Amino acid sequence: MGFEDMKTTETMTRRGVLRLGGGVAAGVVLGGCGKVRALWPRRGELKPFAVPGGEGIGPVAHVLNRLTWGPGPGDYERVRAMGGTEEEAAAAFVEEQLKPEMIEDGYARAACAPLEAIRQPVPELFEYKPAQLDDELTRRAVIRAVHSERQLYEVMVGFWSDHFNIDASKLDCQWFKCADDREVIRKHAMGSFREMLKASALSPAMLFYLDGRKNRKDGDADRPNENYARELLELHTMGVGGGYSQEDVMEAARCLTGWTVTGREVKFGIGRVYFDARGHDDGRKVVLGAEIPAGGGAGDLDRLLDILMGHEATGKFLAEKLCRHFIADEPPSGAVAVVAEAFRASGGGIREMLRALFGTEEFRAARGVKIKRPFHFVVSALRATGSVTTAGGGVKRALRVMGHVPFHYPTPEGPAVEGSAWLATLLHRWDFAAKLTDGGIGCSRNEPEKLVRCAGGVGGVLGHCFGRRATVEEVAAAESVAEPVALALAAPAFQVY
Amino acid sequence: MLVNVFLRGGADGLHLVPPVGDDAYYRARPGLAVKAGEALRLTDYFGLHPDLGPLHGIYQAGELAVAHQCGTADETRSHFSAEDYVNHGGLEGGGWIGRFLHRTRDPEDGPLTAVSIGSGVSDALRGVAAVAMRSLEEFTIPDRDPALRGQLGAMYARAGGVLGAAGASTLRALERIESVRKGGGVSGGVVEAGYGDDGFSGGLRLLARLIRARAGLRAATIELGGWDSHFAQTTLTSGLMPMLARGLAAFRRDLGGLMGEVHVVVTTEFGRRVAENVSAGTDHGRAGVCFAMGGGVRGGRVLSDWPKGGIGADILEGPGDLPVRMPLHHGLTAVLKRIRPEVSGEAVFPGLEPGELDW
Repeated sequence: MGFEDMKTTETMTRRGVLRLGGGVAAGVVLGGCGKVRALWPRRGELKPFAVPGGEGIGPVAHVLNRLTWGPGPGDYERVRAMGGTEEEAAAAFVEEQLKPEMIEDGYARAACAPLEAIRQPVPELFEYKPAQLDDELTRRAVIRAVHSERQLYEVMVGFWSDHFNIDASKLDCQWFKCADDREVIRKHAMGSFREMLKASALSPAMLFYLDGRKNRKDGDADRPNENYARELLELHTMGVGGGYSQEDVMEAARCLTGWTVTGREVKFGIGRVYFDARGHDDGRKVVLGAEIPAGGGAGDLDRLLDILMGHEATGKFLAEKLCRHFIADEPPSGAVAVVAEAFRASGGGIREMLRALFGTEEFRAARGVKIKRPFHFVVSALRATGSVTTAGGGVKRALRVMGHVPFHYPTPEGPAVEGSAWLATLLHRWDFAAKLTDGGIGCSRNEPEKLVRCAGGVGGVLGHCFGRRATVEEVAAAESVAEPVALALAAPAFQVY
Repeated sequence: MLVNVFLRGGADGLHLVPPVGDDAYYRARPGLAVKAGEALRLTDYFGLHPDLGPLHGIYQAGELAVAHQCGTADETRSHFSAEDYVNHGGLEGGGWIGRFLHRTRDPEDGPLTAVSIGSGVSDALRGVAAVAMRSLEEFTIPDRDPALRGQLGAMYARAGGVLGAAGASTLRALERIESVRKGGGVSGGVVEAGYGDDGFSGGLRLLARLIRARAGLRAATIELGGWDSHFAQTTLTSGLMPMLARGLAAFRRDLGGLMGEVHVVVTTEFGRRVAENVSAGTDHGRAGVCFAMGGGVRGGRVLSDWPKGGIGADILEGPGDLPVRMPLHHGLTAVLKRIRPEVSGEAVFPGLEPGELDW
């Protein structure tokens, strides 16, 4: 076994023992340069599988498209068997995915076991080089999206990572984003929005990314640093035009003064989030017409978040974002109202909002109308081909060239949501499709010829990729090229879902 | 042709082009203000930040003009809204450059008429087929299977709609790029122009290559981001300003005589607050600066309508921001009319008060 990447210490630390243990359990060999050569338990071999045969995308193919990062070989067959009719099967799948904690996920966990730097407690993260943390964080995002059985959960992790966007390359975010990913996003992705909001406000990464840690009032002339307060209202809760004024932003910033975090300037206890009362503006504040009396101290944060949660713009904004994500780029107002009501009734329960959303007629009807963004395209291509991936150089390069590497969007609003904004990347998608199917992506193994056989032929593999029966022209086209799977992945029908 | 350099994040006009003759500026920014002795002279009243040194010579040669107090009608001070407003040229859908290209449509127009250097097409180009490009080398697909390209072309043609258009324009761009790469139509040699080795310089160098290759380029966008200096502004911008200046100066040197046909505008979504904040930075403001370079611009001037008593609290708006006196779209209209005199400002910026800056 190579221990080349244990450069920080010669002795067998707790970290080293864990790495050894984790590696052995997952059957992984760590090669030079920290490259993960996967010998982990082989995923189930490709077996013959049934494919969708409907004229258009049916209910099962539709929920697979929307609640997962893309169907893999055998997914359609498994879900179809969950109910008598397609509608019943689709509904059963929705219920299954709404309870991720009940879904076994051993394979994905084992696949991520070697990525152990990013699991370290916050102060220990600083013993690693940012490049390694960044690499592991990206790999985990891809590996989980590709290999996890808790697909809706992983879709929501992607959604909230964009919503609470943090550019992992800014300052100490290079180390702290790992903690944010697990303590803020992954912990609450299908839980309580109110709790996720507070966790985000007090996340070391967020305090660095939006300068919250520099927001303090020491003297009378000090003006608060409004950066986080503005994005809290504009991007995280009420949305642009949600009805707040410039004054509200400043008053919100006053509420947040004093919260800060230790960074690399200290030797011990890095990443400690604390409230410095001396830097807090303790006067009376008025936010969105609601008064926060003077002397609230650290409690001003909770008061502020409660005011934001209670404002009707917040439920509506979140409902719109969810409907845009799951239904259509122009979110239908009926569905938005239903989801906003679920937000209000449940006090910001994410599962409740999702259950309400998936129950709408608008959701059921909106099939094949959304265009995949690059990350979605790459992950769905890996899933469709049944690839076993370690998300290494080839995958990361593709994401970089298409401009959609996770956690690297520089500005707080996060990457563009509409797929149509990403169509300039078409050429790179064709390139990825061609390389993936002929062994050109070293970190991802698949067997295109076996895939075609198991799908029942060229027509079958197109049906599997498109979620519907392929047209006569599509089959003819796929039969006339050397690699039909490459054509399927590059085709227009695979760019939509 | 038009090149739009977009400074993302809200570049601070008062920092790039400090009003060294204004006492109120120094009072408002005890920490951040650029000392009069260190600024490079533009006029008696305005200086250029020393980190933008390479632009000074271009200004003195009369090929760079500055518009101060320049901005839009968007008052949200939100990156998202303001950048949208700038890209759309008001509250319209579609992009201002897209509308310009559409109005001045050429039968020669092809997939390389509008290019965004980077990984995504700028919203300013919405409304015309445009490609995003980071390098010529990455703009190809492995051709192990020649039939693949033909079949993809047919499939995207059948798909129609926005996907079909994207597929068709990608294939055409691919063909044109490959002929450019093979060296077809590249006139003149490559001069040692002095680019930096950062992404911004790299992007401009690629652009210069496309321009010299006469690949049909009529408009291009490129971004330099990171200007959102809420804290430690001096440090944050001291990395960006040299990149901006060196890149633009090298671009001009690279193009040589062609610079007369290339009209560069440097814009940002808003300027920043006059007073510095508690973190040695500035928050979102209103008016900033806009530069125009090349293409026969009447340079060597700073256009402004500076208040006689300086930028004291009495003339500032909202939480202490510089009011807009030179509408950004007037500056852009003037440049567009130099490229195509027949185009009308109202057509490119519908709903906005027409006008042109005098540069």
